[in-house]
Amino acid sequence: MNPHWQLIQESPTRPRRPAGLLPALAAGSMLLSGCGVTSLMEPYKQTDAVIGSGEQVVVLARKHHASHEAESDFVDCISDALARGDNGIEVHSSTQFEDMMYPWFEPSTAPLDTTELGELLDRPGVLDQVESTGVRFLIWLDGSTDRVSSGGGITCAAGVGGAGCMGLAWWEDDATYDATVWDIHELSNTGTIHADFSGRSVMPAIIIPLPFIARPQAKACRGLTEQLEQFLTSPSGDGEGINLG
Amino acid sequence: MRNRNLKSSIRGLAAAAGCGLLVGCSSSVVVLSDFPTPLIEPLPVRMGVIYDAELYDFVHAEQIPQQSIWTIQLGDANIAMLEPLFDAMFLETREVEDIPVGPVDIARLDGVIHPVLQRFEFDVPIGQRDEFVEVWMQYGLTLYEPDGQIVVEWTVSGYGKSELERNREQSVERAAIVAMREVGAAISTQFAEQAEVAYWLEERQNESALAVDSRIAN
Repeated sequence: MNPHWQLIQESPTRPRRPAGLLPALAAGSMLLSGCGVTSLMEPYKQTDAVIGSGEQVVVLARKHHASHEAESDFVDCISDALARGDNGIEVHSSTQFEDMMYPWFEPSTAPLDTTELGELLDRPGVLDQVESTGVRFLIWLDGSTDRVSSGGGITCAAGVGGAGCMGLAWWEDDATYDATVWDIHELSNTGTIHADFSGRSVMPAIIIPLPFIARPQAKACRGLTEQLEQFLTSPSGDGEGINLG
Repeated sequence: MRNRNLKSSIRGLAAAAGCGLLVGCSSSVVVLSDFPTPLIEPLPVRMGVIYDAELYDFVHAEQIPQQSIWTIQLGDANIAMLEPLFDAMFLETREVEDIPVGPVDIARLDGVIHPVLQRFEFDVPIGQRDEFVEVWMQYGLTLYEPDGQIVVEWTVSGYGKSELERNREQSVERAAIVAMREVGAAISTQFAEQAEVAYWLEERQNESALAVDSRIAN
């Protein structure tokens, strides 16, 4: 029940190493110490509700902000990851859910809190339609991945004798998301998970550019999925989940 | 003779290059989508709907500075959005050609609705930090009595955005579909809440009740 956080530093994903480029590798290794992904996860479960057999979840992006919106591939990543595995949770298609519930989950009409959700379910036909989908938990994703800084530069040149690049470029991406879980049966806010993943990528170039890319969005997807699985299968939200199979 | 052939070839090459440039600088989008039927209670009225040629064939053409000439076809999407919408909103709908309606339809219809796409605006960003294609649309809905008298003129707008991807045309199409769904959501949830429409609906219900009463009395 208690919120907790974790801060970890991880290595960036590294592509296949070209042979015979020791100077570039040495430079890359030196730079690696300054790059990677840092993460902060703050889960807070408010109820002890867990998903039952035959019940489904749906993952939806909050779309009412003008400035940002959780990316569709991030929503797909969470949905797919939740459904994966032997004990995968049944995940309803977001698009199909929005179509079945049209016009009540459009950016301007979607409920912003569980009180509005209750009012929506009181409308004729809406509760029946929700029940026909089998969805019990709504997972709202709010946030985005943004480039917060970048710098350096790489110069490339080509001549009769060959071509090559020289320089160093770096950039930093910040993936900040909130996943809010609503229980449709109980009309309550089950809890919220805040995830903040920051990653710095570097690309040194000595003859050829060598990208060392940090993927904070992919890490955020993995981190949020793990927490959501615990939220949905464990009453306390942080222990071993029940076996849905 | 050779000189004339050379000139002709140069003209041909210039024309081809010009065409190539034009093709390279134009973007064409055909908005196609299935729109869901709204989950709403139908209003207890029988409506005629006018889908005029402008709505069926709506094309937005615009030259964006430093970009290209955009041609966006929305005609099919207009009908795909409005037909299921009106079918779900009203007890009964039928397409009518004009207003006032003919003598047969006067007895069969409570009103006539005429949708028009009044404005379409869009923005395709150039900068790296602008991540969304945006579309804004405004429809005008006119509700008529079957005899042609205007009950209300109502404007409805919708905004849609979509992540900017390599295929900019697809991003524009997706943003347009989001905007159209927003318009459909606004029409289906707010139409009956308009003061004039609410009063008109009340009148129709009173007329129906009176007609039932008089039938019972006879």
